[in-house]
Amino acid sequence: MAEFSWDVRSPLDRVLAVGRYGAHGDAGVTLTEIRNFDLVQVMARRGKTAELAKAAKVRFGVAAPETPKAVGTADATLIWSGPDQFFILSKGRKHAMAALAPLRAGSASLSDQSHARVLIAVSGAKARAMLAKMSSIDLHPSVFAVGAAAATSMDHTSVTLWRGNDQADGQAVFNVLVFATFAESLWHTMLDSAAEYGVVVGHSEDLA
Amino acid sequence: MAGAQTNRLGNGGLIDRSEPLNFRFDGKTFSGFQGDTLASALIANGVKLVGRSFKYHRPRGILTAGSEEPNALVELRTGARREPNTKATTAELYEGLEAASQNRWPSLRFDVMSVNQLFAPIFVAGFYYKTFMWPAKFWEAIYEPAIRRAAGLGRAAGVADPDHYDKAWAHCDVLIAGSGPAGLAAALAAGRSGARVILCEEDFAFGGRLLSDGGTIDGLPAAEWLSRTLAELAAMPDVRIMTRTTLFGVYDGGTYGALERVNDHLPSPPEHQVRQRMWRIVAKRCVVAAGALERPIVFAGNDTPGVTMASAMRTYVGRYAAAPAKRIALFTNNEDGWRTVETALGAGLQIAAVIDARPDVSPAHRSLASKGGFPVLHGSVTGVDGGKDGVKKIAVSLTGGARAEVEADGLAVSGGWNPAVGLTSYHRGRPKWRDDIAAFVPDGAPPGMVAAGAANGDFGLGICLAQGFAAGAAAAHHAGHNGKAGTAPVADDEAFSLTPLWHVTGKGKAFVDYQHDVTASDIELAQREGFESVEHLKRYTTLGMATDQGKTSNVAGLAIMAAVTGKSIPETGTTIYRPPYVPVAIGAFAGHHRDETFHATRLTPSHHWAAEQGAVFVDTGLWKRAQWYPRAGEKDWLESVTREVKAVRSGVGFCDVSTLGKIDVLGPDAGAFLDRVYINTFSNLAVGKARYGLMLREDGIVYDDGTTSRLAEDHYFLTTTTAKAGLVMQHLEFCRQVLFPELDVQLTSVSDQWAQFSIAGPKTRDLLKEIVDPTEDLSNEGFPFMGAREVALRGGIKARLFRISFSGEMAFEISVPARYGEAMARNLMLAGKPFGVTPYGTEALGVMRIEKGHIAGPELSGTTTAADLGLGKMMSTKKDFIGRVMAGREALAAPDRQVVVGIKPTDRARRLRSGAHIIPKGQTPGPGNDQGYVTSVCFSPTSDQWIGLALVERGRERIGEIVHAHDPIRGEDYDVELCNPVFYDPDGGRQRG
Amino acid sequence: MRIVCPFCGERELGEFTYLGDAKPVRPAADAGEEAVYDYVYLRDNVAGVMSENWYHGGGCRAWLKVTRNTLTHEISAVEPAAGAGAAKVGA
Repeated sequence: MAEFSWDVRSPLDRVLAVGRYGAHGDAGVTLTEIRNFDLVQVMARRGKTAELAKAAKVRFGVAAPETPKAVGTADATLIWSGPDQFFILSKGRKHAMAALAPLRAGSASLSDQSHARVLIAVSGAKARAMLAKMSSIDLHPSVFAVGAAAATSMDHTSVTLWRGNDQADGQAVFNVLVFATFAESLWHTMLDSAAEYGVVVGHSEDLA
Repeated sequence: MAGAQTNRLGNGGLIDRSEPLNFRFDGKTFSGFQGDTLASALIANGVKLVGRSFKYHRPRGILTAGSEEPNALVELRTGARREPNTKATTAELYEGLEAASQNRWPSLRFDVMSVNQLFAPIFVAGFYYKTFMWPAKFWEAIYEPAIRRAAGLGRAAGVADPDHYDKAWAHCDVLIAGSGPAGLAAALAAGRSGARVILCEEDFAFGGRLLSDGGTIDGLPAAEWLSRTLAELAAMPDVRIMTRTTLFGVYDGGTYGALERVNDHLPSPPEHQVRQRMWRIVAKRCVVAAGALERPIVFAGNDTPGVTMASAMRTYVGRYAAAPAKRIALFTNNEDGWRTVETALGAGLQIAAVIDARPDVSPAHRSLASKGGFPVLHGSVTGVDGGKDGVKKIAVSLTGGARAEVEADGLAVSGGWNPAVGLTSYHRGRPKWRDDIAAFVPDGAPPGMVAAGAANGDFGLGICLAQGFAAGAAAAHHAGHNGKAGTAPVADDEAFSLTPLWHVTGKGKAFVDYQHDVTASDIELAQREGFESVEHLKRYTTLGMATDQGKTSNVAGLAIMAAVTGKSIPETGTTIYRPPYVPVAIGAFAGHHRDETFHATRLTPSHHWAAEQGAVFVDTGLWKRAQWYPRAGEKDWLESVTREVKAVRSGVGFCDVSTLGKIDVLGPDAGAFLDRVYINTFSNLAVGKARYGLMLREDGIVYDDGTTSRLAEDHYFLTTTTAKAGLVMQHLEFCRQVLFPELDVQLTSVSDQWAQFSIAGPKTRDLLKEIVDPTEDLSNEGFPFMGAREVALRGGIKARLFRISFSGEMAFEISVPARYGEAMARNLMLAGKPFGVTPYGTEALGVMRIEKGHIAGPELSGTTTAADLGLGKMMSTKKDFIGRVMAGREALAAPDRQVVVGIKPTDRARRLRSGAHIIPKGQTPGPGNDQGYVTSVCFSPTSDQWIGLALVERGRERIGEIVHAHDPIRGEDYDVELCNPVFYDPDGGRQRG
Repeated sequence: MRIVCPFCGERELGEFTYLGDAKPVRPAADAGEEAVYDYVYLRDNVAGVMSENWYHGGGCRAWLKVTRNTLTHEISAVEPAAGAGAAKVGA
């Protein structure tokens, strides 16, 4: 009997080359792929928005976002993904599909998207300049503050974009969830857009 | 060694004399300085002749000092970077620049085609329309190529552009076009108020006319005020000032287009940098401070090299320290022209005479003339002697009728100023006429936009500063910023008095549109022939249709038309203004989207594994799909595909079908929802079962098909065709949100969540038994045809298994979470090794579906009904669904419709091709007897001949009939037999077995 | 052109797809062929203000009813479709 191994392979596995890319000198952009995460889309059933909000509050201790925002909790991030729907981004199966039965309980429909997206964090002094080549969203700090989110498109590709907490050095972090089959294509566009600023490419196995 | 800069002034100018630059023009080496344009460097080297005109090949020089230049167009750079029609007046000089004049052969000074001038009488307006009408077929073969050779502009590089371009978005409260006094004042006011500001300057230096004309602002010399202002703006974090950036258009909702020439001033862009960047700027408000363009006066010989706009003359002398001429005459109809005299005298140049068309000249200017020792002639220029060596003698007709002659090597002309009304008029705005300046000024503007300073028809330095500042402050206020703007910069206004003069009649060609060689007499001719409307005038004479879009010619053209028709200029009106303001390279619009990155690409989860196997990929929509997997020794694709099909039919194979659209349909009303979007019923589908479904458009035509499985009471897993995945999602959301909002259903795409493989062939179950957990029952009883459920795989992961078949074989589709997709492909190879498993591509998939008579894209053509496809019985009569009523219309249910039928050639050796028309046997093909066409064909390894599907009138009733296939595109004619579309295993025993 | 999505805020045109006139209402199942024919084929060619269906497919996937002047492209109102999100419609 053959031995089957079930390697999990990120869609960026073949193209993500850890290290430097583009212009030399101080890198203006850091691109980090986060590889392991659980992602569940939660959609309120008709007329059940309030019930879902209550259930989410019970589970996560915070209100689920009702407007384009990302809300951090102790062990998950709730990201608005459309009217009356949001993503639960987490790690370690704690809030994976199988664990979310209580949320379902008649108030919501759930869909596992853990393998359907690639998560890329964009940071660095030139992150905004680089993202401006792909995104029509105004990322000025006065408009797109920490916790702001958008269901939008980058380079004609649907993405979920949100601003995470700033890094220790004060630099903004922009998180991009992109459809898995588009990820390699968008990755090349990101590298192209960032090349003139110099890029540090990396990946992290787990969500911070 | 480069020649001496004979016409470089000894001092002054904003050039950097410590940085000499060598460049070549028409193969000859010259030198200039950093800060020169190609035009200013050519002038500094005494070069007057820089090009030949479009139609008559007349010698032309440099007319202006900006982006309105109609004459001095060159091919810049060489090889793949060669760029035709580049304006020497805006091309920045760099070390090693190479440029060549255009539209001449064999050389600029000796141009064979200048004989066109001898035939000038026939090259009048409408010449092409009148001459090359008949015979029609001569146009493409003879006339057009000959005309294109003779009359044309520069040559494109002819090879792919090696440089990169990109596009970017920017957002601001206040966008400012132009960095002259008005633009800078606007930026100061808006920036100080706290607004986010973007200022775009087309030039490589900020300052606008301050760079050429100087002046005093807030008691400071203009240059000092400029550097202080730029420093203040640079210190504001939310103010972005951009040089080399032309705001070229305004679009709906406050979106603007701007082109930044990031590295056009270098021989080639530095590594990782772009040549140009297209900006889409979203601005709450916009201040247009784009200035005004000085306009020529139309007189005979006005295109002689050495005839230059008066303000351009000042720019070359003042900003570039380059003298276009040593002995200059001025022809003006206004006060402003005299500033050129002051600048020239200040630079030590000689003034030959001033020809002023106005009745009076101010005492100050009169005394300037007597001090400078030059005459002031009241009258007009009627002719210029010179030709390719430039201006030599100027003929003047004096007021009162006497004639005079002036000897000069340069003639500066000022006919007044036209505000740059482009941006304000791009939303079909029509500018209004202002008599005091005899020019059109903006009359309203797109929402949020306002013009200030010279662009608004107010030319004085003081009023430019005041208007710009007020406009900047108001724009910031409208955008919600009310910080302290402080006080506006102050300066005096220069006098401006003008007597309109457009055209001086005289002997010889008097040019209105220099670039398109449109003369005053062409306009008069157009009027005589009835082309009086400005839009007709434009198209008949091509006035204003060259790459400069008539910046120096349109108003003069209208004025001449007004004069001959006896109307006023405002009555004559303007043509519609359209963006872009300056030509924009297609490469800049494309940006990153070229070649491999023309569009986003989607890769299947097993893509890299397939690439390792040597798969040949095909683009289907955005996807790259494995088309076939060639093996060593196979001579062509057909051999590979045939092998793959045989391997599946006799053993087992697998294919990545992850490209199918996959949608989770969730919620208590999911079944009821699907009943309304599919023609057949899904609410009664048992959990654990799959069903084939067909969707119609509301007009009764088939939209899409696919298999939908019920995984739980409130969870359906719907699949779509690859091609329609996105559209079906949009359609279902429309049904959910707009048509049937009462249904409690939720939708989301799971296309990317699942890697899905089709496993097919008689040994499918053997393969699956290897990989599926032994506790799972895969027998016909335990997992019947159209079963769908989750199974455990060896090694601990879960998969979804669907017993569905597209190939007609015993088959399953298996789904695993996408990040296992590559492992799945490897494991299927491993599990199938004992059974000779063969990966197959989309071609083999297509062959097997044609053998089975399954419909696909070519049959779902947007014209076929369910009945046409042989699926009419699926239409439920017990419920409403999208398309139900329209599908019942007479024509859609007519008995003579073209329906899907199989075809095979009567000659077994013949190859079929799709697209051939079906004609009754024995008839001559024609539209009257065209009974359908061939939709899909393949070589069927199973039948050992080519087979196909076709849409044929009453096809199903005609099984066995021999008809004629007529393929005029490929020149093929042959007979085919209409047959049952299911060529393989018509009873379906194999897929159920 | 820019459209203010009631859920996402102002977004560029590229994120939206135009469908057409939002006025026609899908007839009831028993309304008959003529009513359906009207619904499918008959459209006013409005030079002026009209109400249109737009899809924010490059964003939140909501269908929107956009009131737009076809002469000036001015958008005077944007509303979500009746069934956008989890809105409860009917009894």
